[in-house]
Amino acid sequence: MKRTWVGVAAASLVIPGLTAGCRQGQPERSEQFPAGTVAVAIDSATAARNAAREPGALATVVADTAVGWSGQRPFEVASRTGGPEAGHSRLFGTITLPIVLRTRSPALTQYPCTSCHAGSRVTMAARRMPDVHHDIQPVHPDTSGAVCATCHAPEDASLLVLLEGKRAPMDQSYRLCAQCHFVQANAWAGGGHGKRLDGWQGRRVVMACTDCHDPHHPAAQSRIPFRAPVIERIRSETP
Amino acid sequence: MVHLGPFIRTALTSATTGGRRYHLWMGALTLLMLVGAYAYSLQLRQGLGVTGMSDHVSWGLYISNFTFLVGLAAAAMMLVMPAYVLGQADFARAVLLAEGVAVAAMVMCLAFVVVDLGNPLGGWHLMPGVGYLNWPRSLLAWDVVVLNGYLALNLAIPFYLLYNRYIGRPPAKNQYLPWMYISVMWAVSIHLVTAFLLAGLPARPFWNTALLGPRFLASAFTAGPAFMILFLWFVRRTTTYPIPEGAFAKLALITTVAAQINLVMLLSELFYKFYWPTEHGINAKYLFFGLHGHHALVPWIWTAIGLNVLATGALMVHSVRQNVRWLMPACATLFIAVWVEKGLGLVIPGFIPSPLGEIVEYTPTWVEMGVTIGIWAMGMFVLTVLVRVALPIELGDARSPYLEQPSTVQGARPRATRERYKDVRPFRTR
Amino acid sequence: MTDGRAGDLPERGDDGSLLQKPVDRRVALGMLLGGAVVGAQALSACSPLNGETPEEREVRVLAWQEYIKGNYRFMTEEERAETIARLEELATLKRREDVTIQSTGAQPGVVFGYAFNISKCQGFRSCVEACINENNLDRRAETQYIRIFEMTEGEVNFDLGDATFQHEVPAEGHFYLGTQCFQCANPPCTRVCPVGATWQEPDGIVVIDYDWCIGCRYCMAACPYWARRFNWSAPEVPAEEVNSNQHYLGNRARKKGVVEKCTFCIHRSRQGRLPACVEACPTGARVFGNLLDPDSEIRWVLEHKHVFRLKEDLKTEPRFWYFTD
Repeated sequence: MKRTWVGVAAASLVIPGLTAGCRQGQPERSEQFPAGTVAVAIDSATAARNAAREPGALATVVADTAVGWSGQRPFEVASRTGGPEAGHSRLFGTITLPIVLRTRSPALTQYPCTSCHAGSRVTMAARRMPDVHHDIQPVHPDTSGAVCATCHAPEDASLLVLLEGKRAPMDQSYRLCAQCHFVQANAWAGGGHGKRLDGWQGRRVVMACTDCHDPHHPAAQSRIPFRAPVIERIRSETP
Repeated sequence: MVHLGPFIRTALTSATTGGRRYHLWMGALTLLMLVGAYAYSLQLRQGLGVTGMSDHVSWGLYISNFTFLVGLAAAAMMLVMPAYVLGQADFARAVLLAEGVAVAAMVMCLAFVVVDLGNPLGGWHLMPGVGYLNWPRSLLAWDVVVLNGYLALNLAIPFYLLYNRYIGRPPAKNQYLPWMYISVMWAVSIHLVTAFLLAGLPARPFWNTALLGPRFLASAFTAGPAFMILFLWFVRRTTTYPIPEGAFAKLALITTVAAQINLVMLLSELFYKFYWPTEHGINAKYLFFGLHGHHALVPWIWTAIGLNVLATGALMVHSVRQNVRWLMPACATLFIAVWVEKGLGLVIPGFIPSPLGEIVEYTPTWVEMGVTIGIWAMGMFVLTVLVRVALPIELGDARSPYLEQPSTVQGARPRATRERYKDVRPFRTR
Repeated sequence: MTDGRAGDLPERGDDGSLLQKPVDRRVALGMLLGGAVVGAQALSACSPLNGETPEEREVRVLAWQEYIKGNYRFMTEEERAETIARLEELATLKRREDVTIQSTGAQPGVVFGYAFNISKCQGFRSCVEACINENNLDRRAETQYIRIFEMTEGEVNFDLGDATFQHEVPAEGHFYLGTQCFQCANPPCTRVCPVGATWQEPDGIVVIDYDWCIGCRYCMAACPYWARRFNWSAPEVPAEEVNSNQHYLGNRARKKGVVEKCTFCIHRSRQGRLPACVEACPTGARVFGNLLDPDSEIRWVLEHKHVFRLKEDLKTEPRFWYFTD
């Protein structure tokens, strides 16, 4: 127990310091860690590295303990199937273990959005010009007619748009993605989609959707694989 | 027990005494054994990587030879059974020689298993008591038990017979006959256990058939008596040991019938694998017709089958079996054909392709072949020694010096070393 | 007999053979003794008895004690602790490696299960790389426990699958399927071992005692999934790449002539951590957990996804399922 608190204290001191270098002269991110945020120590460099998808990532990640996992549903979405729940919101899973959701915002280099976006206006200092994201060409949800406002709230750029006029913070991107990708979201909640960051025992530390899927271009990137196996046995030097 | 010392001395003398041809033969065998020993030393030092085996084909020349030789050893039973169980006098003379062949084959089998081990110094792990023998669950543990038991039987029974003849006492039938019967059943079991060792693996559909055990027995009783015919003919030509014609005729008949059964079983397998080919027949497809451009074994298996059919057909002709000029080449051909089919054509294709469909072919290296030749030479060496020990005693040329022999003995005082063995005549050759 | 002078003895034996040539007893004895003296000197000149450092002696003593020890499965806790201490010491002395070898037993109430998503696997082989590093696999022989097969869409057919692909992945019209040891519930490999060197632990992992294995490779013939590997030569791992977090039944240093295989990273999974392959997979295609825990992800996958296993007809009951999205 003691170590967790020390970790929390250390993390809350260390993280802003380390990430300060990434943002040059941005306004203080006082709202970056919502209430209920805890620091979770991941004792595996591989997991942390993979999770952050950046080289040299922190071994300690900041995570958001999703509230109400025991007995309560993490999210709701309209069902498309004509089952008994048709017409009602289909509830997901009965996850009884506490799940710890790793926050996304520390990895977003230009967070918080309000540092430039104030409602529908953009006000930015000249030094922030390199941060302008002209390069984002959303092909998702579809290539025709997808605009920023499809997903980003016009009144507060750091919030995501949900159905029925609701809003969700960037750290809870699953609530937006699950509206259409409810099958994957169901699997994600159950454990068949995505990865755990810690071990197989005890609480689950998981990531939200955008840690792996670029929301503007979610299709998987191809790559050259690690070397193929040598099928014929590599023989010793002697005859 | 006073006779035991002289018995051993006589045996050693018989084994080391001989003419130029004999010493050349033993010298050549020794040279081959040394070559094998050197090759094995390379393998011990660097690991089994010096062989052609791989994670895909994890058993190769050694286990192929082992499988074949277990059959050869079991076939000695083919002489014991008629001689003792069926009371055929023709075989009585040949029984000891057959048991000598069984011992030599067993020694070779055990040697092939030892050289195939990756950690031979850990062999003591097999011994119940100090180690742990996973019997009865592991068929290999069964094999260890039955092979050593068969070796012990085939050493003990001839020893009993020879020793009693050496000391001039007729062997008591009630002492050795039960063991003879046991050895007959044991011979069948050693080869069945070896067959089950392979057949009991669901991972290897090429072996996982009910017919594998019967096929093993059929091919053993083809190659074994064929070898015995060649061997007995050689003994008859080079020594004064009498082997009746009837023995050859009957052995030839046994070989022919077994060869026919073997071919029928082969036909059955071919039909099963190729009339309606399934995924389980893919190893057979590789062996007989090649697979995805890999066809290293195809010429071998078809040659073996061709020779087998040729030899069996020839042996089916009565006059061929009667004529030593045709009988010997036919038996030699049959022996070689069965060796190729059972060795290369059984063990290797079981691994190609692998259970996950990967094809890695197998070529034995010089080290492997050197060790194999060394072990065969050792087997021939053991056989020669056993025969050289047994025949003088059987012929009556070697008797214990402590026996009452009116012509030479002077009371019971042991004579001086050189004179004691004056009565042991050198091994008579033609 | 004769009076001992060599000149009196005939040059050949009675029957003319050289081997029967009589040799004078005293001469023979003298030659034997002389040979023995020369031989003893030769032996002592090149034997290790001729000057051994205390370190070499220590290694020899430890190696002997390791040689005569019994089967790990039947050892007492004390004996296990002793052998582990010896192995750690030998690693330091022989290879200058500072390793920690665990003897952690199976956790009660845990049976490991594994699921592989063939929709998600893209053939990156990150798992293969992680496994090689985590398990100290032989770099010279390029041993790999994990095989990723590029299969054609439409059927799971290993006759046409290809594990040697080396091109940009994922390739159109193909899916990727990975194999490793499935830690079967009814393993054919443990039954055939003649010395009982491989057995199944209570948490489901099929393990090998490398020091008890005699290298007969019967288990390799028995495995229907080609999961086992043999050390055809002494395995080599560069010192800087050695993973010093080891388990006796897992990734400790093996020797030539013994069989090895995937152990679901026993040194990690028994500490509550994920195997390296599961952690390394960038697409989350691998799911691992406790089958006895109804809330685990592996149980969720088995209950909510259409799963299949390889070669079900062999009744090996592998604890490794495949599923699709």
